Amino acid sequence: MTLRLRTLVLGFVAMLLAGVVGGAVLVYMGFYDISAMRQHTKPVFHLLDFAMARAIDVRADAVPPGDLGEERRVRAGLAQFQRHCLQCHGAPGVAPEALAFGLTPAPANLLHAGRTWPPSEIQWVVANGVKMTGMPGWGWRLSEEEIWDLVAFVQAMPRLSPRAYAELAGSLPGTAQAAAPVPAPPQPAPDGPATRPGRVDAGRFATQQYLCATCHVIPGVVGANQHVGPPLGGIAGRAYIGGVLPNSPENMVRFLRDPQAVDPLSAMPALGLTEQDARDIAAFLFTLDKVEGK
Amino acid sequence: MPLPARRPSLPRPFPVLLLALLAAGCGSPEPHPVHVAGGDAQRGRELIERYGCVACHSIPGLASYGANVGPPLVSLSQRGYLAGVLPNTPEDMVRWLRDPPGVDPRTAMPNLGVSQDEALDIAAYLYSQHR
Repeated sequence: MTLRLRTLVLGFVAMLLAGVVGGAVLVYMGFYDISAMRQHTKPVFHLLDFAMARAIDVRADAVPPGDLGEERRVRAGLAQFQRHCLQCHGAPGVAPEALAFGLTPAPANLLHAGRTWPPSEIQWVVANGVKMTGMPGWGWRLSEEEIWDLVAFVQAMPRLSPRAYAELAGSLPGTAQAAAPVPAPPQPAPDGPATRPGRVDAGRFATQQYLCATCHVIPGVVGANQHVGPPLGGIAGRAYIGGVLPNSPENMVRFLRDPQAVDPLSAMPALGLTEQDARDIAAFLFTLDKVEGK
Repeated sequence: MPLPARRPSLPRPFPVLLLALLAAGCGSPEPHPVHVAGGDAQRGRELIERYGCVACHSIPGLASYGANVGPPLVSLSQRGYLAGVLPNTPEDMVRWLRDPPGVDPRTAMPNLGVSQDEALDIAAYLYSQHR
């Protein structure tokens, strides 16, 4: 071993040791913010996101038992979906329930997975779940067939408009007796009149609490990289909100609080925003003046 | 004969891992090709210019990017919903392009009298732009 190599190895070991000790000190001091109200830092988010994608990719190898496009399977999958998945993931035009709003990572809108993931990967995640995300593994509670039914439905969902989804859900046997085929949107928090004009920082924070990032690309919001709805870069200067309503701060608040009142066909669900939260989010959105993506 | 001193090289997986992490940092999902049967993207591009779509929409690959009346038509192959109301399939895209108010009476997008073949071409161009 040359002297130079030995110095290098020793240096490497010393650095490794310093890293381990430094890491241990940070852990002991409780340095990393584990509050679910705040998103991960950008590097941590992307590292975890990438690690998850790789971990699924190398493990998922199940072969579908047949044609996943079969209507019987899709309908059976929808029944399972309504029982076990809708609460966190939502559906076309349907918001998740209140518990999902507090989760970090935010439960994904499944359109992207349904359109682009291979069935084996969807199957793996449903069967195994994902540690520290809130996604349970269903492999113990559901049969293999039931899990494939779910995969079939997740793959069919991107071809359903909100109305088509509601009709399909309403046509399931037993839904006439069930409380409601499509659950009511989460109830807004007790809503006093808004007490102050919208605040940009409060609005940015609120986008995390209302799962905006699961559907929209939002400049400056970590993890907001989904194209379920339109990207919000440039929304400040856009002439129309939701393609239907002239853009103004008042109309933005109106749309955010009750999209279906503005456009009954809209896939944007009512998320139970309070007047104050809607004002804050509108204030934040009006800072996004650059159309991105050129 | 003593071997010449050599710089120790990094173990092989290292650069790969580093590249992977860098790629992860970029973080945008990979493009997902959407095929429009019977649509010609090049003709679609010309039609988009002729119909003046860029007066209202920012469209990748076309001049006067920055129009902001309706939403930017970026990453359309990844978009979940068209106009916020239709599932994003080539068939529904064509339906929308041909008669927006027929799909959603409240939409601000006008009916421009686009024919079926023209709509197929325009859809092919829009889906071909992955950003």
